[in-house]
Amino acid sequence: METANRSISLRLFADSSLIPLVQGAIEQAASVFGMSHQRVLKLVMAGEEIISYLAQTAHGGEVQITITHGGWCVIVDFSFEAAPSDLWIINLAAQKKANSGQEVEHLGLLLASRMMDRFTVRLKGRKVHLELRLDYEYLVLQPKLVRPKMLRGPLTIVDNPEPALIKEACAAVVNQYPPYLVHTAFFTPGKTVDMVAGGYLDMIVAVDEQGQLAGMLSWRAPSQNSISFSGPYIFAEGDDVARKLEMHLLKRVGRGNAESLFSDLATAQLVSENFESLGQIEFLQEDEQSIQMAVWFRLLRDDAGGAVWAHHDIVEFLEKKYSDLCLMRTIRQVDAAGESLPERSVFSTRLRPELKEATFVPMVVGVDVSESIARQVAALREDDYRNIFFHIDLASGWQAAMGGALLENGFVPRILLPKGGKSDVVVFQYA
Amino acid sequence: MRNLDFQKLVPAYVQGFESYQPSKPDPELMKAYGVDHLHRLNNNENALGPPPEVSTIVEKFPVKNVPVYPSGDCFYLRQKLAAFYGKTPDRFLIGNGSCEVISSVIKAFCEEGDNIITADQTFAVYEWVAEFSGFEARLIPLKNNRFDHRAMLDAMDENTKILFVCNPNNPTGTYWDTETMEAFLDEVDNRAIVVIDEAYFEYVEKEDYPDGMTLMERYPNVIVFRTFSKMYALAALRIGYLCGTADIVELVSRAHIVYSVNTLAQEAAVAALSNDGTFIRETLDMVGEAKKLLCGLFEERKLEYVCNEGNYLMVKVPLPDTLMYRMLMRKGIMVRTMTTFRFPNWIRVSLVQRPVMEAFCKAFVEVLDNR
Repeated sequence: METANRSISLRLFADSSLIPLVQGAIEQAASVFGMSHQRVLKLVMAGEEIISYLAQTAHGGEVQITITHGGWCVIVDFSFEAAPSDLWIINLAAQKKANSGQEVEHLGLLLASRMMDRFTVRLKGRKVHLELRLDYEYLVLQPKLVRPKMLRGPLTIVDNPEPALIKEACAAVVNQYPPYLVHTAFFTPGKTVDMVAGGYLDMIVAVDEQGQLAGMLSWRAPSQNSISFSGPYIFAEGDDVARKLEMHLLKRVGRGNAESLFSDLATAQLVSENFESLGQIEFLQEDEQSIQMAVWFRLLRDDAGGAVWAHHDIVEFLEKKYSDLCLMRTIRQVDAAGESLPERSVFSTRLRPELKEATFVPMVVGVDVSESIARQVAALREDDYRNIFFHIDLASGWQAAMGGALLENGFVPRILLPKGGKSDVVVFQYA
Repeated sequence: MRNLDFQKLVPAYVQGFESYQPSKPDPELMKAYGVDHLHRLNNNENALGPPPEVSTIVEKFPVKNVPVYPSGDCFYLRQKLAAFYGKTPDRFLIGNGSCEVISSVIKAFCEEGDNIITADQTFAVYEWVAEFSGFEARLIPLKNNRFDHRAMLDAMDENTKILFVCNPNNPTGTYWDTETMEAFLDEVDNRAIVVIDEAYFEYVEKEDYPDGMTLMERYPNVIVFRTFSKMYALAALRIGYLCGTADIVELVSRAHIVYSVNTLAQEAAVAALSNDGTFIRETLDMVGEAKKLLCGLFEERKLEYVCNEGNYLMVKVPLPDTLMYRMLMRKGIMVRTMTTFRFPNWIRVSLVQRPVMEAFCKAFVEVLDNR
């Protein structure tokens, strides 16, 4: 066992006899990192589920486990090298041929994810990462009825607000906005403070000359070349708060690495002339009520045009989107043409259990692509997942080619995210 | 043999820096945007082209000179500059564009822990070179679109080595008058180098505009940058220069690559300085006429704009500047988006001949009306 900074790593073989060792390491580390006993047990159980799953599906393989103090959470990362033929095991609903010749379904990953705040499966080179994230326990805010305030004097935008101001802003958002427009972290202001301190979230607030809170905007960088924001949240009557917050955000990110800016949660106060509309995505809530979420974006750099790949069944969708957005793209059609494909498909997954939201990204498209999509969706539906998305990056012909399989399985293309990945990304939603 | 993990070899300040993505060549952009022409209004080039003396040099450049290295220290050009400004040749250092001399000055004066000071909304290369070299760039917000001299002075400390003043500023075209510049230099009091970047010097006709070449005789910490890319239209040849005291220039030259300026550029620059000034007058007239036309349109459309010195102006548009760029490109007009200059939703337009300006106005109005 070695420790570096605020993480602990161990290397072992996927074998059920080592389960107690993994349990012990997670328990000790999470306790040292200050997690409550009740939560530590959840993490231990999820970790146990993963290692016993790997012992069944990838017996004897070398696994590195890294337990990290993430500021507001503890992250347990299981990483291992997998031959392309073994990658199927990281599917949420993985199937393995038993000695009898029958397919046996393994749902270990899905089981582990149920106890977590976030579960991510991703492939980095040949290394697979299964990442469990459990957040610390924070005080949860309950909304209160408040009256909008009147502003006094000129507004100032505060960069890097102090913790007290962050907490006040979170409370104001929770009090004045419906829950579906509130970033989940804002319900737990202490967690938001830790996320800002850890650099995972950026925030600016607007205050008047009395120091009274007028508005807030927050953002994060989900990838190296894109930024997603939530807001603008406006707490007081008075003009231009939203505009000032947005301009400040654009100045902050305009000379940075990102090529594009997207809304995570856009409020009605967003100044539409600063952004371009990408359309709406429908979210199903716990009570089965649907909410239409507007998605906005803008490029931060000039677009020089380019070529994208697309399955012929989504060409019409893309042509309309590109025309509406005045984006110059040469659409090159791609479809399976009987070439040899890997036997099994593999999808990386990000699950947000609290929202019953799942997002898939293809990593390997195999012969069984359609069947595999159906299997993953069925497993998620069984677990009450209501909002299921597939992201297809049009930079890759092999990803674009699976558009047909998605349509066959009840997915529809909803949104185009320009420069949302290596190239433009189409978001398919399970309808 | 071990696998190469080159990331481990790269300093953090380089890892965190995003490389600049220049725009694609015009034929590629025209193909992408489906247009048969492209008016370049994005780089403040002089659309009249270089002075006639330069054309002769370029057209008659002997092929036999191509295999021969250029003069390593631009011998004849420095002599020409010395005669032009009434100084000695050892006070000039020539670079492959003024970007190269920015880099040389920073390399010559800064070491670990040092900082430079400039504005947040100005030519980005000062900031970029400092940051990817591992030095702090202290960026002072403009005040009323001008460099804020008081805030720059307040930001100085014992580790401040260079203050960059873009005069007139790109992209706002504002400038410090002689009184402001002298008061600033007095307060700096030789504690640091002051670079006065006069890339657009020849475009300013105001009487109170200070001439850095004169100021440096009283303030030995002043280095002046000038370029042949803007007024003299030698942008494709990449040639700019700095001027300072002989001691300072000798120091900077230690961190400067010799032989970086090609022979054609050196000869063209000498020829450009030989023009009798009629070329500059023609250019200024063209810019003046373009300003009137565009400002009139922006007034009529009630759009906020910034038009001061230089062969460019900026206008704020009621849509993302990156969308405006794409919509104008569809009509064969290329402007500069200003989000990367920290002016979101502004575009900068180079001021050129009337027919092109009229084409810009037509396209601009169509975009706004059809939005």
